[in-house]
This record gives sequence, C-alpha cells and structure tokens, in this order.
Amino acid sequence: MITVHTQFHSHFREVAATARDSFELDEPLVSELAQRITDKYGAKMKALLIDPDTNELNERGTMFVDTKGRRISIEDTLNDGETITFLVGIAGG
Amino acid sequence: MTAITQIEMVTGAVRYAPGEEVPNVAKKLFALRNQCTECNVCEIACALAHSPDGTVNPQLARLRIDHAPEKPSKINPLGIGFIAEICHHCGNPPPCAEVCPTDAFYYDPETRAAVIEQDNCIQCMECVPGCPFDVVFVAPSGELLKCDLCGGEPVCVKACSTRPEMLNEGKQYNRLPVLFFEDQPEFNRISKQIIEKRDEIGLMQAMLERGEISSSA
Amino acid sequence: MESRLLRVNLTTGELKSEAIPHQLFERWIGGSGINNWLMWEHFLTHDINCDPRGPDNIFVFGVGPLAGTGAGSGIKGRITFKSPCYGIFGDSAGGGKFPYMVRFSGYEYIAITGRAPKPVYLHICNEEAMLLDASHLWGKDTAETHALLQKEHGTWPSKTHTLTISQAGENQVGIAGVVSDALRIHARCGGGAVMGSKNLKAIAVQGNGGLPVARPKDMLSWSDDFRKKLDSNEAVYGFKRRGTLGAVEMYQHIGSHFWRNNQGNMFRGDEIRSDNWVKKYQKYSEVCSSDCFIACDSKYKIDGTESETAKKYIGETFRRPEYLTTGSAAGALDLRDWSEVAHWGKITNDYGIDNQDLSCSISFLMELKQRDLISDRDVAELFGHEQELRWGNMEDVEACVESVVFQKNTFGQLFRDGPYFGALKYSEIKGQNFMKYAMYGKGGASFTEEMRPFPTWMNNMAVASRGADHLKGIGLIEKFQRKDLSKKYFNGRTEAADLSTPLLKGACTALVENQVALLNSYGVCLFHWMLDPGGYTPQDYYGKAFAAITGIDRTPEELMRDGERICNLEKAINSRIGLRREHDTVCERWMWEPTEEGMYPGKVAADMFNTVLDEYYEWRGWEKDSGLQTRAKLTELGLDDVAEVLAQDRALA
Repeated sequence: MITVHTQFHSHFREVAATARDSFELDEPLVSELAQRITDKYGAKMKALLIDPDTNELNERGTMFVDTKGRRISIEDTLNDGETITFLVGIAGG
Repeated sequence: MTAITQIEMVTGAVRYAPGEEVPNVAKKLFALRNQCTECNVCEIACALAHSPDGTVNPQLARLRIDHAPEKPSKINPLGIGFIAEICHHCGNPPPCAEVCPTDAFYYDPETRAAVIEQDNCIQCMECVPGCPFDVVFVAPSGELLKCDLCGGEPVCVKACSTRPEMLNEGKQYNRLPVLFFEDQPEFNRISKQIIEKRDEIGLMQAMLERGEISSSA
Repeated sequence: MESRLLRVNLTTGELKSEAIPHQLFERWIGGSGINNWLMWEHFLTHDINCDPRGPDNIFVFGVGPLAGTGAGSGIKGRITFKSPCYGIFGDSAGGGKFPYMVRFSGYEYIAITGRAPKPVYLHICNEEAMLLDASHLWGKDTAETHALLQKEHGTWPSKTHTLTISQAGENQVGIAGVVSDALRIHARCGGGAVMGSKNLKAIAVQGNGGLPVARPKDMLSWSDDFRKKLDSNEAVYGFKRRGTLGAVEMYQHIGSHFWRNNQGNMFRGDEIRSDNWVKKYQKYSEVCSSDCFIACDSKYKIDGTESETAKKYIGETFRRPEYLTTGSAAGALDLRDWSEVAHWGKITNDYGIDNQDLSCSISFLMELKQRDLISDRDVAELFGHEQELRWGNMEDVEACVESVVFQKNTFGQLFRDGPYFGALKYSEIKGQNFMKYAMYGKGGASFTEEMRPFPTWMNNMAVASRGADHLKGIGLIEKFQRKDLSKKYFNGRTEAADLSTPLLKGACTALVENQVALLNSYGVCLFHWMLDPGGYTPQDYYGKAFAAITGIDRTPEELMRDGERICNLEKAINSRIGLRREHDTVCERWMWEPTEEGMYPGKVAADMFNTVLDEYYEWRGWEKDSGLQTRAKLTELGLDDVAEVLAQDRALA
C-alpha cells in the first residue's frame, strides 16, 4: 500500500472544495488514484478528470503533473509519497 | 373571450372549428433574466433555421437579446445584464392574434403555438403594440416575425449553451441556462430544488421572489 | 462564397466597393488569409520599405467566413498592416461585437490607405460608407469615443459597434492598439499608431443585412455537435468561470511567470491566484464576443471590501484580467494586489495600448534602477521631474503609462516602440550597453512569460511573423506535454511533448503555425480549439463548418496546405522587408542567463535554440543559412507569383 498526495488548483479546487488530499492506494497506479478521486468527489470531478470517449484522463484543458513536473497518464505507476498536482491547462490571453 | 376563427392550415387540415376554443401551448419556453451572456447564438440559430434562402441575419430572428430592463439588484448592481426576449406564448388566442384584422394567425397542429400566415398578413403592424411583451418583431423587409416554437424543437434552446452551475463561491453568481423548455431536465431539476431545497439554492429563490427570473407562464 | 471589400483612400476621400471573388476564398480561406493577400497586393504597387506611419502603409480589417454564422466558435476580427513599432509584418486579433456587426454591415473586409487631412471616422451602414468629421472625438480615450459614437448613431437599423483608438494611437505611439467596443483590444504590433497616423479615429458599423450560408442545415447540425462536445467537458465550465486566469496556478506551479523583468519566474505572495479572484471580486455582467458558446469574459466592479488596496478603486468597473494582463502586472511589474492588476488592465485597455510591450518597457527601467545602473538624476531627466521607480508601486507604474500614452517626456518618447528600441536608444544616450536587461524576441516585441525551459515557445518567440508572440504557433503540445497529440501528428513519436529534448520542437511550431493560420482565416477564437473539441484539428473538424458555410469542400490535407500557404505569404512579406535568419532570435537574458527557480531551473534558450530553429526551417522547406523561402516550396504551394516578386527583391533562397 502506498500513500499519494494530491493538490487541487483552480477549477479542480472548486470542484473538490479542498486544496489538498491524500489517498492510500492498494495498487500504485494512476488509474486507481483516478478512480478513488472520482468516487470521493462525484460526478463533476469525474467529468473533469476522465474523458468519456476514451476512459483515459481528460487531456482537454487540463494538466496533471507529478513532483518532477511530468504529465501523468492513466497507465502510469506512482511512487509512495508522490504528490500529484491537478491544474488547468490553458495558456494565453 | 372570443376565440378567433381558425383558418385552414398550410397542410389543408382544419384543426379547430370556427368559434371553438383553441387549447393553449403545452410546452412553453422559459427564459432567465440577467443570466444571458449576449452571445447571440440563439438569434443566429433562429435566423438560420427560419431562413428561406440560406441567408443568416439576426434581424430576422424571432427573439432578441437585449439589456435587461431590470432595476439594479444584488447580482446585477448596475442593472445591465441581458435578457432573451422571447414569445411568452400567452393563453390561446394570444393578444397579438386577437388584434389581427385579417385573421392571419393560425395554430401549429403540433405545438398549438400561434403562427403568422405571411400570405394573409397585410403588415399593418397592429400585432406589434398588441403584444404585451414586445416580442413580435419587424424584419427589415416589413415582414412580421413571431416565435413558432420550430414545430416543437426550438433551435434557440438547443443553441443556448449556458448550463446550470450550482456552485456558488464568493461573489460569483451562478451561471444558469437562459433558454430552456419546461420539460427539459434542467428545468425540472431547478424547479424541484426550488421546492425541496430552498436553502441550497437560496439565490435562485431570492431571484424568483424579486422577479429577476421570469418564466413564460 | 462572395464577399465585399470596402477600399478607403483617406488622402482623396474616395470610397470604393469591390467584390472579393470566390477564387480568392479558394486560395486564402478568408479572414487573416485574405487580409494578408490584400496587404501583399498593396505593396506590389507601393514601397514595402515605406514609413509605417506614412500614408503608403495599408490598414486592413477583416472577418473570416465562420464568424457570425451560428458556428458558436467565437468571432475574431483581424487587423493587418506594416507594424509601426517593429517595422515588419503586423497583425492582431480582437473579439467583441464589432467584427460580428461588420459581417451584417455589407462589408467583411475594409482596406484603408492614405492619410486624411484632418481627423475623421468611418461610418458604415448597410453598404453605405461615409467619412465623417472626428474633431469632437480627438483627444478622447476609447471608452468615451465608443460612448459618443453609440449615442450619435443610435440603434437603427442596428446597434452601433465601434473600433477606436485612444490618445496613444493619436500620438502614434508604436505600441498603441485598436479597441473594439471599448472592451476588446487588438493590442499587438501597433495598429493604433497606423490608424492615428492616418488621422482615422474610429470605425463605426451598423447593419441589418444577411449573410449567405451555403448549407444552413449542415451548419446547424455542426454547431449542435460542437456545443455538445464542449458541454461534455467539465474543464470548459472552469474556463467559463475563470477564463485564462485559471492558468495562474499552473504557471506558478511550473515556474512560467515573468517576475520583475524575468529575473524570476514565480509570483511572490499568495494573493494573485485565480481562486482569490473568484472569491473576492464582484462579477456583474458578461462581456462576450458574439457567436461564442464559451463566453469566458466578464465584467467586474470593485466595492472596496476585497482588500485594503482595493479601497482606492471603489466603483471602478473592468473586465476580468486575462492571463497576460496578470502576467504583465503581477509578473513584470510585481503588483501584488488583484485590484491593482485589474486597474492596470483597465487603464491599458482605455488607453488602448499593448500591455506586454508597455510593461516590459517599465520593468526594464525599474531593473536598471534596482541595479543602481541609473541614478535618481537620470530618472528625473527621463521624466522631467523626480520620479521613483519602485517594483509593485502602482503610482510609479501609472506615471510611466501616462508618459508613454501622452508622449509627455523623454521616457515616453524613447519607449514609444517598446523595450527593445527604447533600450537601444537609451543605451546610446548613456553610452552604456543596457541591452542585457531588455526583454524581447523577434522584431523587438516582448512577451511576459518565462520561455527558457520551453523550446517550442522559445522558437515561437524567434520566428513568429508578427514579432515575438506565442499565438502564431502556440506550443501547447509541449507545455502541456500532450504525448497523445505528438503521436498523432508525428507518426507515433512522443518527443514534441518532451521538454528535455530539442527534437520535434521546430516541427511542432511549423505544424501549429499552419493550424493557427487556418483558424485565424476562419475568423474564430483560438480558445475553443485549445479546449479541444474534435481532437485538436482545425483542418478536420472545423473544415466541415467551413464547407457548410462557403460550399468549399476540402480534405484535411488540403486545408493544412492552405494554412501553410497563408504562413508563407506572411513570411514573404517579411523577407521583402529584409528579414533573414539573424532576425529570428531572442534577447540575451533568455538566450544566456539560466533560470534560477521554478520546476525547471538552470535552463537557457541557447541549449537548444539553433537545433530547434534548423528543424523549423527544415519542416518549413526553407533554406537554413539565410532563413529564406525556396522556389521549390513556393511552387509546391501554388505561389509562383510570390516567388517571382521575391526573386526580383533578392529575397528568395
């Protein structure tokens, strides 16, 4: 079992109504983390996190990065103590 | 109330005998005040759907987006929000049809909406001031324009993309759908919540009480 | 597809209506493609090396075929001209209601040349155009001018919408923009100075004419599908609520801000976050572009409860700051309260001036002062009076803004064309080299974002046709590490999404430049595309809407080719002006000074710069050494006529 920390920003924070959370995962997988997050925060979070067409992480207008700033995808594995940050992926203006 | 004479439908079918009471429109449109973003998509979609020759011109739309004629309120301190001005589909026969000297109005067999038969219309404009909500419009050509509910599937409703967002954080007002059909899930949800969970959407309730939300009913 | 062009010769007062034939749409799609062509044609009979502030320059306004047809993908009007600040190809997009109304006024394209003997404005109403006296408008800012014009022309046959310049444009400040309906600014490249130099204060349009749509049913069903695609993505709702402001947290997380003239790349303090904005500020209205399903923009009002600083601005109303407004205020200038950031956005908008070039001019001077490279006396000489230059001090910032807008003093005059030219002139005056502290890319244009860890973005800054800018070839595949898109476009390769390698970075710029050129030619907003309905493919998904409106059926490959053709014409204009490889470069700090903070420390542009640039030329089919286009590439794109002109000017490889 591993512990993974999450940081929510912008719209993610609004939907989760919290900035930080931690999850204990049986399997060190992004897919399990995504499942746990959507279970906990409901339909709106699911619509934000999961692309309904592909069942993978929603890449459109979002950005999920690990501690080293690398984007994670659904098939990645996670390390114990890792912090995953959920961000809005938009630029410009 | 005297029912107006029902003319023959374009299809040739007579739905209501002369003098017979015409049933009211069953599914009405519902427009929220101040929530409109003035994106004009409903106007364009309406113009496109009713375009005889593929020309799109918002001046030919059967609804208009305009500044809300509201007084200032909490969510709209300057009173400058927008409102979709759309036919309220008053009880049949509606005031616009009642003042028509040529009986140019007939009723759509599906929706029972009052519709102008352009061939019989003499463009006397009586229906324009006759409408209590100022939603019979005049096209640049002089043609009179009135909402016909698109035969049951109004394109303006489809085009309105602002959807309910019940999150209410800080000073952001919620964005709600502006135009929807009364039997749409959004409407049911909102009206149900208004009845069941008054506190959760207190803002909505307050808006209703202050008359900031109008329904077509 | 047929469209009308209004030609205005301000010197003679002649107004001429012309049809733009269908073939021109076949070749140039519309919007910026047609604008570019009108500019190219103009400079076949006029000297391309003319003074951009002189009567020989051309100012084109145009809207693309998708705008205002119910597509729901937003409307962007485009102005195109020779840039007075950078001296190269210049164009700029802007939203609001003006471009929407232009489409119903009878003209979709307006080409303005010459110079009026006295201030005038252009009024267009249902194909009738008139030049009217603007002496009562001269000296007014954009908000006042807009209000006066709306009052004068009223609401029949439609509401009046305007494109105006402020005092900055009148004073021919090189970095002055043009403002649509006093809300949306075409900021880049100095269109305001071109209008000002032509004595053209404003364009006001009204109209109730119609637009032809080739296949209305297809259009309605495309638009329905498009809206459903957007609606199914919750991130779109986040964008509706926050606009580009939502990016502040992301930029802070990865270290992509531009703090104090890019001495750092993260904001200091906790206040400037989109969450705080959403919680504290009172929104009271939307201010959307027409025909847009997203509606990301809103108006706000300060009631004084937000913060101590906000009390200064009670009652002030403004648009929600965009990311780059925030990046320039909270970043470049280090303003630390939201109300000040918003106030900065408001004054730059009302004065109609580009906040990127302006903030970098101010932050350049502030950095010189911070490093004691200039004394209080030097500053007093620049301003004509004692002037403090403190980071994050709004009063000092406002003094600088007014100096430039009203050309009040030496500082204003030196920096009227942005930080690069200002720094050059100031270095010369002081006999010292201050160029190390000037932040700019191609053409001397500046940009308030950290670029060093992001090779595609750095490449954008070096090659964008209108001078340093991210909107021409925006490197989202790289910044958001979109491996899926990299695979899709580059035969399964993922390097375009990998920040650690120079591979596929130049290729990515070339690819996205072509896509963006297409979107700009359709006349739609880039944000719908960034939120990615239909898989990030303007050539594919949007192509269907283009076909429904114009009746021009194209395959995705053909449309990409069209995008490439449009980019090549912009390049050709710059080549004729004399731009070569050495002009595709960025400033010293970006090139050589390593980043010290953020998620990617120790990065300099020089690490990958030339490899990426070589690859860019390679993917473009241009010659690497000179950076010039080859005849083979131009022939392949059906641009033999362009190649001939370039050969005559010795601007062909």
